[in-house]
This record gives sequence, C-alpha cells and structure tokens, in this order.
Amino acid sequence: MRDRSATIKRNEKAGPLVTVLIPTYNRRRFLPVALASVVRQDYDNLEIFVIRDGGEQVSDIVSSFNDSRIVFIDRAENRGVAFTLNEALVRAQGKYICYLGDDDLYYPHHVSTLLDALENGGDYEVAYSDLYKTYCRIGPDGNREVLSKVVEISRDFDRFFMLYFNHALHVSLMHRADLIEKIGLYNEQLNVMIDWDLTRRLVFFSDFHHIHEITGEFYSPIGDSDRISVQRRKDQSEYRRNILTIRTTRPAKPWSKIDDMSIIFVVDKLNKQAGQTIGLIWSNTFYPYRLYLPLSPTELSRLNIDMPNVVFVPVNPLSSKDQQIDAALAKCDGKYVAIVPSGLPIEEMWVEHPLYALINSAPMTSCESKNGGAAFELRGSTEQLWAIVVRKDQLANARKSFPNLSVQQSLQAAGIQFKKPTDDQLPFQFDLLLQQAQLAEKNGNWAQAAQMFEYIAEHYHNGLWMKTLAAKAFYKVGDHTKAAKLSSEINQQRPTVDTLLLEAKVNRERKNFKTAIALLRRAEQILSRQSDYLVSTEVNNYSR
Amino acid sequence: MDKEKEDGVEEGSYTQHYEVLQELGDCYSSIGDYDQAQRYYEKAASLGPDEPGPYVGLGVVALQKNLLDDAEIAFRVAFRLDPNCAKAYAGLAMVFQQQQNYQQAFELYMKCLELDSDNITALLGLFQTSCQMGSFEKIIYYLETYLDMHPGDTAVSFSLAALYMKDGRLEQSQKILLDILALNPANQGAADLLEEVEHNLAQAKQAGANIQ
Repeated sequence: MRDRSATIKRNEKAGPLVTVLIPTYNRRRFLPVALASVVRQDYDNLEIFVIRDGGEQVSDIVSSFNDSRIVFIDRAENRGVAFTLNEALVRAQGKYICYLGDDDLYYPHHVSTLLDALENGGDYEVAYSDLYKTYCRIGPDGNREVLSKVVEISRDFDRFFMLYFNHALHVSLMHRADLIEKIGLYNEQLNVMIDWDLTRRLVFFSDFHHIHEITGEFYSPIGDSDRISVQRRKDQSEYRRNILTIRTTRPAKPWSKIDDMSIIFVVDKLNKQAGQTIGLIWSNTFYPYRLYLPLSPTELSRLNIDMPNVVFVPVNPLSSKDQQIDAALAKCDGKYVAIVPSGLPIEEMWVEHPLYALINSAPMTSCESKNGGAAFELRGSTEQLWAIVVRKDQLANARKSFPNLSVQQSLQAAGIQFKKPTDDQLPFQFDLLLQQAQLAEKNGNWAQAAQMFEYIAEHYHNGLWMKTLAAKAFYKVGDHTKAAKLSSEINQQRPTVDTLLLEAKVNRERKNFKTAIALLRRAEQILSRQSDYLVSTEVNNYSR
Repeated sequence: MDKEKEDGVEEGSYTQHYEVLQELGDCYSSIGDYDQAQRYYEKAASLGPDEPGPYVGLGVVALQKNLLDDAEIAFRVAFRLDPNCAKAYAGLAMVFQQQQNYQQAFELYMKCLELDSDNITALLGLFQTSCQMGSFEKIIYYLETYLDMHPGDTAVSFSLAALYMKDGRLEQSQKILLDILALNPANQGAADLLEEVEHNLAQAKQAGANIQ
C-alpha cells in the first residue's frame, strides 16, 4: 500500500481524507444515484473509487459527474467483488475507508457522522451506523417504486456474536485504512459473505462504535433477488464451505482485542472416532483457535488432513495422556486452553459456552491467580471423557507445581474449581430472548412479545431497536396508549418511518389530525428520499 | 456487496408506504381538505392497486364534492377489489341516497351492517333512509345491537330514541333521552325531543284516563 502520510498532511486543514469504494457490475441504471449520494456528502475531503468489474460500460456516467475526486478503474473482465475491492484498496490513500454498493445510497451526513465518531469518539478504529432496508419493486419504466423503509437491524456491537455471524452491514461501516495492513485484503477465494469475513477480522483489533443514526439505504427488490451473493447462497455446500473458511481465518498476531484459544486433542491412536471428533471441532468452532495434536511420529505420518490451524506435536509413542498434554501445553500460545478427548460429543457452541463463562468470570486477585481460580467443564465431560477449558497460565502453574499428578488432579491440587456454566453465564442471551419474542410475535401472541421486547430494551441494550419492536407489538395488542408513548420517545431521538406511522395512527384515532398529518408527512418525506437524488440533471440522464 | 441477514420479510414490509399515503388521505379528508385527500388517495391507489381503501377514500371525496358519478365509479372499483368491503357498500348506499334512490340505499346499508355491525355511517344512513321511506322496523334492531357494543354513542342513541317515539314506545324513548341529557345537559336536540316525547306521554295518559 502506498504511503498515505503526504496526502493526509496535504488535506490536514480540511480534515482527514476518506476513501469511498464503489464496485459496480451491470447496474448502470442505479449507479448514478449511488454516486450522486457520495458526491453530495456534506464532507468534501473524499477520494471516490468507482471500479467497473466488467459488465455494462459506465465511463459516461462517471465522467458526467465531472468531479476530480472520482478515481475510475475501468476493467472489462468480471473478476468478482473481492478482487474489485482489493484493486481499489491497494491504491486507496484515505485515512479511513468506507464502502457503497452500486445500487445503494448514503444520506448526505453519512461520511461526516462516522468520521466524527472515529476522530472524536474515543478509542475506536471502526464505526458503523444504521441503514434503512428499502423494499422496492421495479415499475414498468424500470424505476424502483419504494414500498417501505425499515431499520431491520440496529444491533449494538457484540464481538462474540461477530465471530459467530455478522451483525453490521458493510455499507454502514467505516474503518481506519491502516487496519487493512493488520487484517489483510478481501479473501478472493470466498464467493459469499466477503464483507463478514473482513469485518470479522476487524474485531480482532478494534471495538466498533455503533452510531444510532440512519445514514443511508440499501435495496431489496421484492421477488427473486438479482444479487449474486443471494443467488450463490442457495448452494448449501458452497455456503458451508465459505462459513468454515471465514470462521477459521486468523489474522496475523498480535491481536489487541481477542485472546487466542488452544485446543489440545487427546487421543492414543488415530482411528475413525478420532477423525470424526476432529471434523466436528472444525465444523462447530467459531471462536479463534489452533488445534494441537500431540501424537507419535508414526501416527502423525498417517495423518492426512486439510483442516487449517492444526499444530502437530510429536511425542514419544509410550507417553501417557498427561505427558501428551504437557508436550502440547509447552507449545500452546493461547490465553485459554481446552482439553478435549477423542469421542467427546461436539455440537454447536460446545466450547464457546464454557469459554464465554470463563472469559467473563470475575477477575482474580493476584493471590487467587496463583492459588486458585475456575475452570469450566465442557458439555458431555465425564470421568472417562474429561474435557475442560481453563486459563493457560493456571494450567501451566498447576503442572509446574504438581508434575507427578494427573492433569485433573494437579488443577484440583492448585485450587482450581471445576464448574459448569450457569444459564446466566452463557453468550447470546440477547439473541435468545429476541428469538423468543419474535416467535411470540409470529404466533400472534402480541402481548407476550411486547412485554419481552420492553424487558430486553431495559436489560440488554439495543434500546431503540427493541422499543420500536415493542411499540409495534403494543399497537397490535390494542394498547395504543403505550404504543404512542414508545413511538413518540423513539421519534424524539431517531424517527423512523415505522414509528412515525405508528404515532400518526394513534393521533388520527384520537382525532388529532394536524399532529397526525405532520408525522405522516415526515414519514412520506423519508420514503421519497431517493427521488431527491433522481431530480438532479446528471442522474436524470441515466435513470430513464 | 453482500447484505447479511436475508431473513424472512417482516410483516408490513411491502405495505408501509401505501399505509402512510392512505393515512394521509384519511387525515386530510377528516379535516375537510379534499383536494389533498384526493392527491394522497390517488398515490396510495397506485402503490396498492389491489387495496380497496384508496377507492373508498376517493369515493368519499367525490361525494363531498357532489360528484356522484365519480363517487359511484370509485365505490364500485373498491367493491370489485373486495366484495366484502363494508365501506364500499356504505359509500355506494350514500350515492343512492343522494340520488333519492332510498330503497337501494337502504338495502346496501343493510348489507354493510351485515358485514360490519359497527359501521356508524351505515347505521345513521339506515336511520335517515328509514325516515325518508317512513319504515322503521328493521333499523331498530341494528341500532339496539350497535348500542349494546357502544353504549356511550349519543348520536345513535338519539336516533333510536326518535325511532322509539315514532313507533309509539314512548317510555323507552324517554329513558334514552334522559340518559343523553344526564351526560350532556346542553344537548338541545335531545331536550327538544324529550319535550315532545313527554308531551305525547302525557297525552297518552290523558287518553287512557279518559277511557277509564
């Protein structure tokens, strides 16, 4: 990557340079709106890459903007989004990077809002905002008719969840450009979810600042989506392959925000059961890990494995299980160690549940750290199949202090308590409750759903999002007073079409027609926002 | 670029814009700004071509502007989109009533009430057409049913009191009118009718006394 310092200095007075990447492929009709929305940002110091990834010619559209900030990469061959974004990323000179789909749009304050959060909002190197998901249908003239604009996800940052799956839309993201040097470029081997792959790697190095503002829109046509990514997801095995690749990707160390985990797999001999256990570990583990296999050189030579992140630890064929663990432990570089015997039942969250409990257990005093602490047993652990996750320093201390005892006995002798995680120690509690509330909603149990959404809002952050869902549920159940109160609260903080409509409906019922009209006109203004961009001359020429 | 969470589509995701326009039409119609109401109903009809609501709204606007032919067309479109649209029946009945076709109006109001016994427009329309045709038997049942559900609706209870009086059920009429006046002593219509009912009651008693 080029040295950016000269450019940043040159633009110091104007604020840091921000690079916007717009890959485009066969969306000639919509590109003008997307590009116009960037050109008209209320922050000027931009470098705007438009990268044609083959398909329809768009040079006339780009040149019609006559804007020196636009860098146009015109490539006739279709190479895919990851390649396309990388092509621009290596040339980007901005201090910050953000992304826009060629059929999506930013509101004028998108860049300035995220930039302000990153420059002045504390120790964050990544920020994201909320976006409207715009449902539309294509009219007979080929233009989009907006049917609704909904904020479907407005989730506060959750690192553990982000390792499991994505919750931040890529179009809403801005990050420091120098993070790319730590995390690497887009993975061109993936054909879906390339954005989550990049975002997931970002969580190793920064917290994400969630800005509760709606700063743009992304489009969702009704009926069959034309999105390549959506089409590709229909191939389940390919989708699975991509998920596994993403979940096992480990950026280069040191990581500032994630502590590594080492899994020590304990087995005498490689057999079918051992192979199955290893396969299950691969497909069911989303927390970053390395798998250590302490085996005799003969056994290791029999091993034919294409699983990533495996470390072979040659041991004497006559070694006991405890000696195998000690040999692997000497090589482990994770803060946490899981000891896993062959045959342990492995399913989703098998290690993440106890690991999450361990990570979040009360920090120990220095005295306790030396002489005690907690380890968490894995689900399915028995006397015969003893499985545990523990801090590496505590395990190492226990082995050092009691080398002649078994691993289990040495930990006990060192004062480590073996625990099982309780329900309140498990991860994704917000998501589980949300799932239950949404199920109640789906079953028409609006009263229960409303109460649950309200409870979640009070106890699990994500307040605006949950209050919006609660307001809708209260309206459905007939408690219009509560629905109006919640909607009004939300509309004072961050109005959405949904909450404006809800508050208006209640006002109309109460015959407050003027208030209802004011709220509805505001909603209508938001729903018609795309047409604001369409009225400009340069866009009009191409949207017909 | 990928957009994560392509989950099931949330309820209302396809109808939100339509709802906003329809609500705007209804609000403007309620405050008497029929040009604005018409504008929003037309927009709503274009976004929700299968929805009867905007056509009902357009029909009401046309009625207010005394464009009876336009109103009839709009209500018939609504009726075609939803053969069970109670409001379309009521609207069409209003058109017929304006055209002094009381018999057809009466039947359509009745059909509307079969579909929606809460429809106040149909109830009052039925009352008016009954008065216009001079027949009250059928409507009393509907007014009583409605008032069981909405005991505080004084406009309807006033109509029922008037019907009771015309039907000779003077004591029932008197009771209703006293209830209305207890809620609002300034209700001049109720006070006037009560005076007439009590006068008739006195006459009836007098007549009874004379016979004895």
